[in-house]
Amino acid sequence: MKEVLRAFLATLLAVFVYSLAGGAGPELIVVFNAFSVVVLYFSVRRGEVFGAFLGTVCGLVQDAFSLGVFGVGGLTKTLLGFWAGFISRRIDVAPLFRNGLFMLIMSVLEMVLWVLVTAVVRRESLNFHGGLILLQPLVTAVLTSSLFAVERRLRARGSRGD
Amino acid sequence: MPIWEKRRSALILAGLVAFHILLISIQIPRGAEKSLFEKSIFFLYSPVQRAVTGAVRGLGSLWTNYFDLRGVRGENQKLKKENFFLNQDVRFLEDQLQFFRSEAQVRERLAAFQGKIVPARVIGVDSANPFQTIVLDKGSLDGVGKDMAVCDRVGNLVGRTIEPVSLRETMVQLITDKDSSVSVVSAVGRLTGSLTGRSGAVCELRYVLASASGGQVGEELLTTGYDKIYPAGLRVGSIRSIEKDERSPIFRKITVDPYFRFNTIDIVAVIAKAGGDEE
Repeated sequence: MKEVLRAFLATLLAVFVYSLAGGAGPELIVVFNAFSVVVLYFSVRRGEVFGAFLGTVCGLVQDAFSLGVFGVGGLTKTLLGFWAGFISRRIDVAPLFRNGLFMLIMSVLEMVLWVLVTAVVRRESLNFHGGLILLQPLVTAVLTSSLFAVERRLRARGSRGD
Repeated sequence: MPIWEKRRSALILAGLVAFHILLISIQIPRGAEKSLFEKSIFFLYSPVQRAVTGAVRGLGSLWTNYFDLRGVRGENQKLKKENFFLNQDVRFLEDQLQFFRSEAQVRERLAAFQGKIVPARVIGVDSANPFQTIVLDKGSLDGVGKDMAVCDRVGNLVGRTIEPVSLRETMVQLITDKDSSVSVVSAVGRLTGSLTGRSGAVCELRYVLASASGGQVGEELLTTGYDKIYPAGLRVGSIRSIEKDERSPIFRKITVDPYFRFNTIDIVAVIAKAGGDEE
């Protein structure tokens, strides 16, 4: 029950951040995907099943605020959550550089999948906003790795305090 | 050990993927109509978006109202509001004068039009592509429904309301969306066509025959009202370029710069019912 509550709060947080970003400027929505950050962060922490469910929720919420086909974001984020949780259980992604690289690969995979699914479903070329959208995986990876770095630092400080 | 225990993760993933594929599949024949499920999610989360935007704006206005010259600011806001309605009225008057000779008829039309404008704030933009949709803080309780024209504060066309329309929030399809279509006419050459977006900053004017006369770069485009969604005479944009369409030689390739800008659509006007419908 606690996990479900956390997942719900994480989705609300993503909506919160997405709303702030949308208010700041439309370009920010293109380069920054708050829902992907939440999915990646919780998938690595909680594993593939949790990641897949959270990916479903976050993806569908993202789809609800978009005119695109409902479910495309849900599908890509479900797979993102599952992959991230699954791989992070088998290899150590804790070191900063490895963590950043892992997040970047996952984000790129998500984008590739999203482009493919959208192209198949809508049968038309996508708008890449002059290449701006290609920055999204990089921004997602940097933000998620930063979250882990901050968390590690806080834990280290907490343990030194004990 | 049962297969469920051994392959739990894979089975859950397969179930979720199957769910999404089913979800996507059932929408394909539905076109633009939103599913009940999608509407439910929008209803559930749009108040959060509204609360966030409201809280941020509230904090911002608290700061400025307290420390700024409050009297001047209040007066300024009042004037802005009056200006907002006046701009809409001026646009409408200009448009209607083209159609009606009698002054009395114009007055009658204007009186009816004034009561139909619903001012709204933009509380969100499309999560996948900002040139597709925006979300407004007015819904069915405020008299907003599907297929109503939305203009910016100076009367330039922004888009139309689409489903989902919740009690206090509404989604708006921008004219820059690639699935959007607006019947327009050029102000001088009376060149008619269908304006569609490209999900980017520029739109295109489609179905203009290569043999059609009229239309120059920089010429203003106005709505015709033929589509029964947008009232006639709303300013849409100006012609950016006119070229020969290589792929379809019978048509001209015309690109259009829409007038509305994202930095000026913090407040918009929903035209609750088209003024020129009854013509």
